[in-house]
Amino acid sequence: MEKDDLVVRMEGLSVAYGNRTVLEDVNLHVRTGEFWFFLGRNGVGKTTLLKALLGMLQPQQGQILLHSEFTDRNLIGFVPQRCDLNPTLPTTVNEFVLLGLAGIRTNKREAFERLCWVLEKMKLEEMKDKNYWSLSGGQRQRALVARALIRRPKFLIVDEPTKDLDLTSANALMESLTDLNRKESLTILFVTHDLTLAAHFATHIALFLEGRVQAGPCHTILNQENLEEAYGVPVSIWQEPSGALNVRINGRAGGTGGLR
Amino acid sequence: MIQNFLSSWDLFHLSYLAGWLISFLLSMIGVLVVARDQIFIGAAVSQASTLGIALTMWATGVFALDRFPWFRSDVSLSVMAVVFSVVAASITGRGDEAGGESHEAITGWVFLLSASLSILIVSHSPHGLEEIHRLLSSSIIGATAADVWIFSMLSVLTVSLLIPLYRKILLFALDPSMAAAIGMKITVWNLITSAWLGLVIGLSIRASGMLYTFGCLVLPALVAKNLCRKVRSMFFVAPAVAVGTSAIGFLLANYYDYPPGQMNVALFCLGLMMAWMFRRLREAGGG
Repeated sequence: MEKDDLVVRMEGLSVAYGNRTVLEDVNLHVRTGEFWFFLGRNGVGKTTLLKALLGMLQPQQGQILLHSEFTDRNLIGFVPQRCDLNPTLPTTVNEFVLLGLAGIRTNKREAFERLCWVLEKMKLEEMKDKNYWSLSGGQRQRALVARALIRRPKFLIVDEPTKDLDLTSANALMESLTDLNRKESLTILFVTHDLTLAAHFATHIALFLEGRVQAGPCHTILNQENLEEAYGVPVSIWQEPSGALNVRINGRAGGTGGLR
Repeated sequence: MIQNFLSSWDLFHLSYLAGWLISFLLSMIGVLVVARDQIFIGAAVSQASTLGIALTMWATGVFALDRFPWFRSDVSLSVMAVVFSVVAASITGRGDEAGGESHEAITGWVFLLSASLSILIVSHSPHGLEEIHRLLSSSIIGATAADVWIFSMLSVLTVSLLIPLYRKILLFALDPSMAAAIGMKITVWNLITSAWLGLVIGLSIRASGMLYTFGCLVLPALVAKNLCRKVRSMFFVAPAVAVGTSAIGFLLANYYDYPPGQMNVALFCLGLMMAWMFRRLREAGGG
């Protein structure tokens, strides 16, 4: 797939666990510099689609085409939902982040430069010699993102990184990601069930309904009808005069950030 | 004491060299076992290797296989020990499967099945039972020049694989989901590491017995875990602890006339206790 700025193209994709089809006929085009949100309730197949995208699950039907520069996966960064690291092991933040270079040829100097860059981006410089397990939840999540970013990816896939974070930590992480998306044109695919985050930060949304996916620019997907179908609760959505998008679920105020 | 040890060199140098090489090799592989928190795998694989030996001895007797030279030699026992430990490592090295049996349960099953069968199979053969008891209790006195060569080669090979593949090996051991995401074939890695673990344990069991093999596999790596601040350092500290402690162990065992395998494992355990205390003191001091 060499066409223009397409990063990934999913055509008529169906994915299944054994005989149980989870998603059917998914069509999705992700282009360079877009900030995609995979949005939907828990258990609707968001992580399953990610697994298929990462080659960890074979599609039942259809195909996933990656731009040729991503076929060896060196330019893809992945931030998993949780880290499998054994918590009794001694691991400094530096060592943990450097693990992200696995499979990439770098000399010592280049590895050090990448490390410094990513620690600065993720605001982890002062914690670099600390034990990974002594960090707070938000800092650990930033270290996970740093481990993915040290590969200098052009396409970053992030699986529910804000799930267990407080509002401040979640915001700090989102600001860092937005910064990378805007300044470095990093293409991001962000999986979450949090509607308010999507209203704040997404340029494009893939909304997961029962067994199917509606995908496109944020303003076309994020409407009352779609959201009520996806979440099964009354939702109010309106645009502020400033252009900012606002979402309300069952009386809970949502996004007030700008819809870019 | 040292003079005494040196005077025993002519008689026991192969046992000492094999013992040090085994401790060096197993302690390095042990870092991965400890990193993956799969310590009990070492015991299960060692026990499965003993079952392989017991089965070969039983089959040789029952089917009169000693007509064939291969079955009269020690090689058949070593090969079966390796085969059984590789199979056991492959079975126990797999992760938990959702809705299936836990990894611990499978490991426990392999251990208990091998432990019971290896005794049952040879229980009516006095020589066989004696050999299995010897393996379980550990003795490195009978190590040969071939053992020294084999473990030297395996050590060189392990180090030369570990250096260029260090980050990939570590990522596979520490975070397999991330490793899979960057394109590493986890099933293949599992297979290769299990085969390597099985091969080394299988050969070590024949040369040094179960206690020494299991002790060298997990205890130096656990000592290193408590002393180090980075996983990377564990790959240096664990072999140093293993070889250093077994040198002292051989010295003491020779001087006081104790079995060297048991002496070394007891010293490793003492070392681990000291490492725990060191870690506590370091943490209390805010280090």
